[in-house]
Amino acid sequence: MPAPGSFALPLCALILAPLLLGIVNRTKAVIAGRRGPPLLQPYWDIAKSLRRGAVYGEATTWLFRLGPVVGLAALVAALLVMPFGGLGAPVSFSGDMIVLVGLLALGRFATVLAALDTGSSFEGMGAAREMHFSALAEPALLLALATLARVTGSFALTPVYQSITIGAWADALPTFALVAVTLLIIALVENTRIPVDDPTTHLELTMIHEVMVLDHSGPDFGLIQYATALKLWIFGALLVGLMVPVRSGSAWFDGTAMLVGMVLLAGVIGMIESAMARYRLVYVPQFIVAAATLSAVAFIIRLV
Amino acid sequence: MFPLIETIHAVGLLTCFALLATSRIGACIRWLSFQGILFGMVPLIVHDDGLTTRVLLLAGGNIALKGIAFPWILLKLRARANYNREVQPFVSFVMSILCGILILALSVWLTQEMKPALAKAPFVMLDSSIFLIFVGLFLMISRRNALMQVIGYLVLENGIFVFGVITVVGTPLLVELGVLLDAFVGVFVMGIAIYHITREFGSMDVDRLTELRG
Amino acid sequence: MYASQSIIAVLALALSGALFCLVLPRPHHVLKTIVGVSVVELLLALNIWAAVLGPNGFVTAADQWFYIDAFSSFHIVVLTLVFALSSAFASIYFTHEAGGLVFTAAIARRFGVLWLGAEAAMLLVLMSNNLGIMWVGMEATTLLTAFLISLHPSRLSLEAMWKYLIICSIGIAFAFMGTLLAAASIQSDGGAGADALFWTKLASAEAHLDPTLMKFAFVFVLVGYGTKAGLAPIHSWLPDAHSQAPAPVSAMFSGFLLNTALYCIMRFVPLVQHAMGQDFASGLLIVFGTLSILVAAGFIVFQRDAKRLLAYHSVEHMGIITLGYALGPLGGFAALFHTLNHSVCKTLAFFAVGRLGQRYGSHEMHTITGALRADRLWGVALLISFLALIGVAPFSIFMSEYQLLRAAVGASAWLTLVLFLAASGVVFVSALRHMINMVFGTASRHDRGGRDGKLAVPIVVVAAGLLLVLGVWMPLSFYHALSSAAAVLAVRP
Repeated sequence: MPAPGSFALPLCALILAPLLLGIVNRTKAVIAGRRGPPLLQPYWDIAKSLRRGAVYGEATTWLFRLGPVVGLAALVAALLVMPFGGLGAPVSFSGDMIVLVGLLALGRFATVLAALDTGSSFEGMGAAREMHFSALAEPALLLALATLARVTGSFALTPVYQSITIGAWADALPTFALVAVTLLIIALVENTRIPVDDPTTHLELTMIHEVMVLDHSGPDFGLIQYATALKLWIFGALLVGLMVPVRSGSAWFDGTAMLVGMVLLAGVIGMIESAMARYRLVYVPQFIVAAATLSAVAFIIRLV
Repeated sequence: MFPLIETIHAVGLLTCFALLATSRIGACIRWLSFQGILFGMVPLIVHDDGLTTRVLLLAGGNIALKGIAFPWILLKLRARANYNREVQPFVSFVMSILCGILILALSVWLTQEMKPALAKAPFVMLDSSIFLIFVGLFLMISRRNALMQVIGYLVLENGIFVFGVITVVGTPLLVELGVLLDAFVGVFVMGIAIYHITREFGSMDVDRLTELRG
Repeated sequence: MYASQSIIAVLALALSGALFCLVLPRPHHVLKTIVGVSVVELLLALNIWAAVLGPNGFVTAADQWFYIDAFSSFHIVVLTLVFALSSAFASIYFTHEAGGLVFTAAIARRFGVLWLGAEAAMLLVLMSNNLGIMWVGMEATTLLTAFLISLHPSRLSLEAMWKYLIICSIGIAFAFMGTLLAAASIQSDGGAGADALFWTKLASAEAHLDPTLMKFAFVFVLVGYGTKAGLAPIHSWLPDAHSQAPAPVSAMFSGFLLNTALYCIMRFVPLVQHAMGQDFASGLLIVFGTLSILVAAGFIVFQRDAKRLLAYHSVEHMGIITLGYALGPLGGFAALFHTLNHSVCKTLAFFAVGRLGQRYGSHEMHTITGALRADRLWGVALLISFLALIGVAPFSIFMSEYQLLRAAVGASAWLTLVLFLAASGVVFVSALRHMINMVFGTASRHDRGGRDGKLAVPIVVVAAGLLLVLGVWMPLSFYHALSSAAAVLAVRP
């Protein structure tokens, strides 16, 4: 296992992240009976947005311009501590899982500030919803990570993920299963997928994430689209790193296994999105608290 | 080796949380049935004497009663009351789940207190049993529908059954007699009572049973 | 003589009587049957009591599965006395039911089966040596008496029955948990086998009971059986059940069912004292007892329904008995004496209120006025029973409460003493006010209820006489009986 991981890992992530989005959209289309957009469509969308000119409202300030930049920067920084299954992250120190959660929170905070900065009621509504659900989802994520830390005995993400082998799974099957379900639900929540939010909806009253970024345009919007892809990659890595316990020692083998896992995850997300409808907003807190409960149960049964 | 006891424990805890969070009575009855079958298998696993006839009868009887017979009776009762199919809680579902987590912490603490004195009992099963008892109690207090109160009572009985199986070895018929008699007759009697109440009041909403006060 | 056979006979008689009631064609057959059976049971119980007070100190039957010592035989006598009186009263009460509450043959049969079945179950509780069987008996009483409450199904009685069923089922489940823990506590020593739950074995000096498990067991048992005994704060079913049930059933409830549950708790006290020392059990009992007295006193002040008032009095007196048990051997003696006094007094009170309720058509206290003028016999009974209930001398409750106060002083339980006296004062004033309104004054017009049967006068005379006689004179043999009963609960060093 490479102890300080190479920077190749984040670079790969930066390049491959939008592909995940493409796979999700393609899966949804195929299940719906259409041919669907090409797999590389997200790349073309981002490129298109970057080429356009930006339009800024008169009521906005520097916060509005800062939002997408800070959001993307936070996610790129998060990539630095994120291991990819058996492959180590470039930066690893005890407590870096808290840093990960903090960076995600920072990105969210920047987006919300930018949304509130516009002074529009739609963005305000979206920001309120986003903070509400994140307030419930963050403890769930922390509990899930804490459970993993408890099982593997380390507070740094890289050693935690490196010790999730098949033997570890056999030992702690119920715990890992519960944490995996929690991480899946958190991934759906944080990436505003169905059943929490519909990424393709056009009705402002039903949007959460979409409505926050309604006023961004041009390169800002391109940055936001790219940040969305990176966020999906990060949460996917958290989940697939747990679900695919291939730790053979060879970087190529592990990496390939993880990539296959990520592709499968994207397919699964696509299938979930096709099969379910969005929950009523009043049921979403219950849904998230259920995820937190799963983690809490996993933590408590591991406590003894 | 496959941690069977821990898996039963984890799944059992999840069935309790599902009961705390489910909003339709039919779904609650099905969760109860699943829980009965799950915990009915505990005698088969925990017993160190091996699979004697007594153990098989105990497990089989419990699975038949709690997994099949009682849920069937409850479904029949629910069919009579074909208006309200929703659980109406005094405590909202999210609060119920959070209370469930608190109850879990409490039961772990209690188990740690009791464990030194009960050497042969597996820790996770002890924890499950105490958790089931308190969740059953909570369900009885926090739900408005009479059927849900009976379901809570059956969860309580499940907990006592598991506790009896893991702590008492060698006392003939005590656990079996106690729990199965209790649950069986209890459900029958409660069923008859619910029948009368439904006929008289026209609903199973125990919140309407408030005329006697002071 | 023939004590062992009496034990089996008592149980078998009650059960066969219950089954016999299933086939009787007319209501008055049923009523006569239950009177006959309960009187015979009383005689058998007195026989057993005499045998227990002989040289051995206990009687056993069926290979030690039944074990009766001074404590249980005293309770058995009180039980059968209450049942005999209540059965006699039932024959008067149900003959004159009116309006929508007609005592049809079907209802009569149901009543007979449940009534005698409940008596059999309570006898099982009192006589069994096995704590598990004791629990089974308590469970059976819960289920049987639930339908006695709603003998005439109406909205209020069904509500009372449902509350009773739910709360007492939870209590019984907790009590079972406590029994399991007690069984586990002896097994940690390696003791197992068929007699693991025999009280004689658990209470013997050689048994090693694990302290932690016994502590938890006692807490569960106290809360569980305490629910059935009507100890606050888990007494909430009591006022509803006692007030909605027919008067004989209420009398049986207050007169003996509560005491049965307290008996079960007290069976566990020597065990936990043996394992953990004196103070744990006594402390808990004092807390629950005092709380019951205070809560009951609070509610008695603003009652409007006579039977609910009596129900809260039951809570108060159960608290007093519990308090007595916690205050050492002198307190135990007082508590046992109080058990008998309260049972007799409360049954008489419920009889009077029930019969007067039939005459006036309602149990609300503002409708019952001038009882002394309207119905001489039951008005006098009401007067006597209420006076006795609040502790007026020279009735026996005054004596037992006085002995309790002496025990409290002897145990230096000053706070308890002050609280008890304050609550008793409140109860005295409120209940007296209610009673004066009911008994004296002008009678409103009524002509319901019919004539009393032949048994009315004997019932009142026996009950009131017992209260009066025991208040001024305690026979020496009775004194010895109570002392040996209290000694059963003493700690073995």
